[in-house]
Amino acid sequence: MITPQICSGTRRVSRRSLLKFGAAAAVLGGSASVVSRAFAAGFPERNIDIVVPTREGGGADRNLRAFTAVWKKHLDTNFEPGFYPGASGRVGYEVYMGKFEPDAHSLIFGNMGPEVLNWVVKEPSFNIDDYVYWGRVDTDPGCLFVGAESKLKTIEDVVAEGKKRKLNVGTSRLAHPASIGMLALADKTGIEVNLIPLSGGKKTVAGAVTGEVDLSVLTSGTVAAAGDAVRTLLVFNDENVLGEALDSAPTMNQHFGTDLPPMLSSRAFGIHKAAIDNHPDRFEMLQSTFRKVFEDPDYKASVLKGKGHWEYVNYGGVEECGKFKQAMLSLGAQYKPFLTGG
Amino acid sequence: MEINAAFFVDLFLHSLSLWWVIVPSIFLGLIVGAIPGFSAANTIIVLLPFTLIMEVEVGLVFMVALYCASRMGAGIPAILVNIPGTAGAAATPLDGYPMVKKGQGQRALAISFTASTIGGLLTTAVALASMPILARVGFYMHSVEMVVVMLFGISLIATIAAKDTLKGLIAGFLGLMIGSIGTDHVYATPRGTFGILELYDGIPLIPALVGLFAISEAFLVIEGESILSRHGRERLKTGSWLQTIDGIKITLKKWWHVAWTSLIGLVIGVTPGAGAAIAAFVAYQQSRALSKTPELYGTGHVEGLIAPESANNGVTAGTLIPLLVLGIPGGATAAIMLVVMQYQGVNVGPRLFAEQPLLGYGIFMAMFVTYLLMALTILPMSRYMSRVTLVSTTYMSPLIIGFTLIGSFVPREYMFDMYLAFAFGILGYIARKTGYHVAAILIGVILGPLMEGYMLVALQKSDGDFLTLFSSPLGNVLWLALALSLVLPPFMKHRQRRRKGVFAEGEG
Repeated sequence: MITPQICSGTRRVSRRSLLKFGAAAAVLGGSASVVSRAFAAGFPERNIDIVVPTREGGGADRNLRAFTAVWKKHLDTNFEPGFYPGASGRVGYEVYMGKFEPDAHSLIFGNMGPEVLNWVVKEPSFNIDDYVYWGRVDTDPGCLFVGAESKLKTIEDVVAEGKKRKLNVGTSRLAHPASIGMLALADKTGIEVNLIPLSGGKKTVAGAVTGEVDLSVLTSGTVAAAGDAVRTLLVFNDENVLGEALDSAPTMNQHFGTDLPPMLSSRAFGIHKAAIDNHPDRFEMLQSTFRKVFEDPDYKASVLKGKGHWEYVNYGGVEECGKFKQAMLSLGAQYKPFLTGG
Repeated sequence: MEINAAFFVDLFLHSLSLWWVIVPSIFLGLIVGAIPGFSAANTIIVLLPFTLIMEVEVGLVFMVALYCASRMGAGIPAILVNIPGTAGAAATPLDGYPMVKKGQGQRALAISFTASTIGGLLTTAVALASMPILARVGFYMHSVEMVVVMLFGISLIATIAAKDTLKGLIAGFLGLMIGSIGTDHVYATPRGTFGILELYDGIPLIPALVGLFAISEAFLVIEGESILSRHGRERLKTGSWLQTIDGIKITLKKWWHVAWTSLIGLVIGVTPGAGAAIAAFVAYQQSRALSKTPELYGTGHVEGLIAPESANNGVTAGTLIPLLVLGIPGGATAAIMLVVMQYQGVNVGPRLFAEQPLLGYGIFMAMFVTYLLMALTILPMSRYMSRVTLVSTTYMSPLIIGFTLIGSFVPREYMFDMYLAFAFGILGYIARKTGYHVAAILIGVILGPLMEGYMLVALQKSDGDFLTLFSSPLGNVLWLALALSLVLPPFMKHRQRRRKGVFAEGEG
């Protein structure tokens, strides 16, 4: 469902504070726009459209809302997200590349993990180098979890049960780093698993909680947000940085002595390459104001208020995003037969 | 804090004191519910910035009241002009619109509002009383069980086909084929999309709904002067408040019918991922299967209107239970509510009722109060609303087409969806003219993809073993109930006919 909206902060307002805020905003906004115009010839001239390739109400929505609530202050404009779900994120990218002008007034807010893996499964209609991820917001490792009432209490229970019978494992989609983490675990321990795509994070959590599947794998930020309804048993990262929020679960490398690279989802802003080439000044302004958000204490407050995890907030620029994209393409090529059913 | 009768009385009075939020939300909800393409979820998203600056309690009450009212509002155009604006109202016109054609629009609206109110009040009360138990429903209703639940709805195609087997089955099969358009559930490979990007996420429901029902109807009615029969027009023109009172009375008399169909809605609503469309079709199918007069369904039968309206209002309380008790949103609106609650620092899940019982139980009490206030505000309007049907088709048809095309555009903002609605309108027109039932097509379009999703999960879990569909005790009970609901009505009818025949022979 596609619903444009204007992101907003959450401060409660009285008439007096609203007037003060409005006056301050007018002064700040005015001064910021003077700087902007001097820097990038009046950019942005209008609100920035953000294409989100997933449904509203999910992790991307939450992250975007927290980020743009602060970014709008630095860029002196509002953001209008449009949600274009479908085909594991493919629809959003096709819409962005096919229907939005490459003028830097539109961005895509994607998940570099699963959505880049998509291109390995089936190439999109555009050249994947025609868009560039340039602003990483977070890195969120995958994890393995069960419902609070599951009889599988530890990762050893999972391995023992998996040696007796094939385990049904829920995942939001096959082409997902967490799915690949699960396959790596199965390879290492010799257990049999049946990966079942449950179409989205909410349904993947529900699958584990209600016992539809034996366990699920997903990005750990979403799992931690599910609270007491779930129990995390393993994290596909070098370290469990969330600690108790993920039930102090061990990492796969610690527990099984593997050297699995972190199985990360990573949300990042992308832009048409043509926009970078044709409007370098605008792109520079996007980048510089984007960086400022990470230094702004309001951003931390915004993330925490939205029940996000500050530990996962992780600035990255063009270079870091490029490396991530390449790593995902290599990982996808390695697991292509599994991802395509071939 | 002790949870006892005094607690609930206090909570009720407190919720009532929030009338200043609830009443405006009701009017807003009725309006957005009545406009095709808009929904509570869309509206809540658009108004999210306002919701976030409200006190958390006020914000939640606003969302709950809007949600309930939009569900009831969706029934208004479905009944009056055959436009089900949401999938949850898709079964409502089956008997609601034929009533309107007979000039019983006012009565039909009164029945719909009363059934919705009683259904909503009852299911909210049941939800309040047995939330921990109801939250367990999702633990038993897995993919296997949901396949059978879907079949309850899909079997309506067979019921429709009973009038003309070949045409009914062709229409149903066509609907299922159309419903399979989109990317597949496992590998996200496009199927039947002809490379059209707008179809990758499947056939969008609103264009299909308004095209098949409303636009095709607009094409048809323009052939006459009015959507009402001559007798119907006279009846409506001379109508008085008695029609409203009659509608209320007749629904109250059928309180048991309202009760059990709304409970179907509650149980389906509690199951994560299931929704109002499934509930409405299953309730309609069951209502018909257990009726003594199944042949009257589709002709403007009171019970055929009560069933879907009670059920889809029963869903509203149901979808909030997994959200609040387990932390799992049961539907799109619940998912948006979760965003707001998390933003406001509210912990959902079991801790909500331990840490903030006033808020946890208060949400359901606000729903209860909303239904009470809604009955008082909307019932008197039924008389005036029904007058819409007196408008000449010269104006009515273009209005319906224009209105619904805009409604098709709203959810995804694709021009393509307007063309699609028009294409479905033509398909519906041809189907009606040639004796194919558009409801059979629509059931396939709505329930087909859902059925496929559940079926694939069930089969994947069992490595493709079809016998898994008979592996669960609850699933087997549902299979038995399904078989009985399909076999018993014709058997009973046959027996009744034989008895009548024997009696007639005896008399002769």
